[in-house]
Amino acid sequence: MKIRLAGILIIVMVLALPLSSFGAEAKLRYSATAYFDSKGGGMRLAEGVACNDSSVFIVADTGNGRLLRYSYGENAVKGGDEIRVDQMSYPVRVQFSPGGEILALDGKQRRIVRLGPEGVFKGYLEPAGLPEPSSFVLRSFKIDSAGNMYLLDIFGGRVIVLDPAGKYLRHIEFPGKYGFFSDLAVDSQSKIFLLDSVDSMVYVAAKDSKEFSPLGQKLEGYVNFPSSIAVDNRGTIYLADQNGSGIVAVGQDGSFLGRAVVFGWKDGFLRYPAQLCVNVKGEVYVADRENSRVQIFTEVK
Amino acid sequence: MKGEGMNYRYRILLLFLLASSLLFVTLAYSQDKFKLKPGAKGKLCQNCHVNFEEKMKKPYLHTPVKTGECSGCHNPHSSSHGKLLSSELNKVCYRCHAAMVPEKAVSSHKVVAEGECTKCHDPHSADSKFNLLKAGNELCYGCHKTMGESIEKAKFKHAPVTKGCMGCHNPHGSAKAGSLLIEGVPSLCLKCHKTDTPSFKKQHLNYPVTNSRCTSCHNPHGSDRGGILYNNVHRPVANGMCNQCHNEPTSPTPFATKKPGYELCRGCHSNTMNDIFSKNRMHWPVMSKQGCLSCHSPHASTEGSLLKAPLTSVCGTCHGDTIERQERAQTKHPPIAEGNCTACHVPHSSDNSFLMNQASVIELCGTCHDWQKHSTHPIGEKIIDPRNKNLTVQCLTCHRSHGTENKYFVYTAVISDMCTQCHAEFKR
Repeated sequence: MKIRLAGILIIVMVLALPLSSFGAEAKLRYSATAYFDSKGGGMRLAEGVACNDSSVFIVADTGNGRLLRYSYGENAVKGGDEIRVDQMSYPVRVQFSPGGEILALDGKQRRIVRLGPEGVFKGYLEPAGLPEPSSFVLRSFKIDSAGNMYLLDIFGGRVIVLDPAGKYLRHIEFPGKYGFFSDLAVDSQSKIFLLDSVDSMVYVAAKDSKEFSPLGQKLEGYVNFPSSIAVDNRGTIYLADQNGSGIVAVGQDGSFLGRAVVFGWKDGFLRYPAQLCVNVKGEVYVADRENSRVQIFTEVK
Repeated sequence: MKGEGMNYRYRILLLFLLASSLLFVTLAYSQDKFKLKPGAKGKLCQNCHVNFEEKMKKPYLHTPVKTGECSGCHNPHSSSHGKLLSSELNKVCYRCHAAMVPEKAVSSHKVVAEGECTKCHDPHSADSKFNLLKAGNELCYGCHKTMGESIEKAKFKHAPVTKGCMGCHNPHGSAKAGSLLIEGVPSLCLKCHKTDTPSFKKQHLNYPVTNSRCTSCHNPHGSDRGGILYNNVHRPVANGMCNQCHNEPTSPTPFATKKPGYELCRGCHSNTMNDIFSKNRMHWPVMSKQGCLSCHSPHASTEGSLLKAPLTSVCGTCHGDTIERQERAQTKHPPIAEGNCTACHVPHSSDNSFLMNQASVIELCGTCHDWQKHSTHPIGEKIIDPRNKNLTVQCLTCHRSHGTENKYFVYTAVISDMCTQCHAEFKR
């Protein structure tokens, strides 16, 4: 009886596979836009955005050399308090740590600045115990739910994994042949996704894996120089299609699931999106660089 | 046992007879497909195509022409293809010449891939071997004009090139190497050049270059510099100071560089690097593992600034979609068409978006389009874009500098659709 039940279960699971893959297809609905700080000053070339599950989001207002903190709820954006520190002049990527710390990559200094939850400067991230080459240049970084940091080191051609204190844990070399890596993402299972903007490819490394392997085929024809990658809690991968000015959803097998948003200036349109973030509520925050704003879209399942 | 052997031989004989008769029937059918009068064949066609007599006098005749098998390629009654060909041109040729391009070709000639056999061959007769339209390099230079000119002009010539392109290239395709080379580099070069001679070793400063890519420094088509080095040579190479960047030739890793990425180049080009680092916005490949070599050649190049290739190709390696947009565009932007990306962009770093060389888009466009700065739609820092409160109206509000599907780089096919995005009150 048990064997028969197990058999039925297996058949049901196999039959359900394509359904779940189709079910993962995501559509996005425009929700709100953040244009100004709390004093009415406009954003300028905002390149970075980080969000958490409480719908608090931090914007790297790159052109103004500052961060802005907002909250989102009921289709409206609140806040816009400025975080400005002398040690950070050109933030391009921003992330929350699980403890609420704010980390921002300064594109000019190519260093990660650590700020307390209130925006007080706490120091630079100084990776400890790095193997050769000891120097590195970071293009992007991500933080997982345990606080481990994943640094995209384009100089060393590797992804460096650090513990929450900044101590070296391991690294994974870039794959043999690639175009240029602009961003990476880490999902809830600590799977690392690497985004090749030039070759329109996503690479993946499972937890504890020592190498990256291609996730499906090239996404040529679906994206034009994607610049940012994020994964939602259901495993849908989102790409900010920089030159195509849109958002592309990709399945866990690397297959193209769909495309949302088109080029434009009005609310709900994008021009050269630079970074995106998705939280557990299915809210997708996009740093809409050339429109100097951050837009919020909501997943429609 | 003996009986079995007989049986086997009988079966083979039967098979042979069957195959032979099949071949005979097929040939007979193809020859008599059009039920031609006995002895008619090509002669019948020539009754009308009298000019063919001249062609028949040429020294090299295509076999079907020689045997009068006009219907081997043409359908005398009707066809869906030009010149009454029995099918598409390349298919007609491949019927007999199927093996011209290797099955797993590493590179293939564009004209061959496109089935344009008649770009090089005359299908009837010619004065040159292989029915080529012209003899020797002259045929190749018909398309590869710039290459032909630079070969002619070169002060130092590479002997095999003067003899003929086919010394190194296979005109149809190559199963072994890119650029239609009959062998990869360096094995192709090593067929003529001995690397174990004292003079060769001395010229290469005792670096074990036998397995190195010769074309990293030498121009195989000839150049104006001794040793057929590319015309633009990196100073350490010109001065024979390889060890300025590489380990000593006696080292276990003689070709390893002394420092990784841009750190190596910074040793001499510190001013350039300091300038790069002083800007807000980096062209990230400069900082990558490849570093400066993402765009520059470390030894020598045909291009100025030791670029790997002409600027459009170098930039197009990563920004192919942007270059393609210009190609699709109805109106071409001259700086892009001329391959002058640096007319607007700074390739290393800049304080401006898109690595533009001026902070103001209006000022940048105004360097060429000065008149439009003064006589146009209201533009400037004080004119807010009605569609987006954080933007002001400037050139890129209506034009996309790398082109669109519409004239004058505008975003919409119908101009009024563009205008009414802001002037909604005029929308019908």
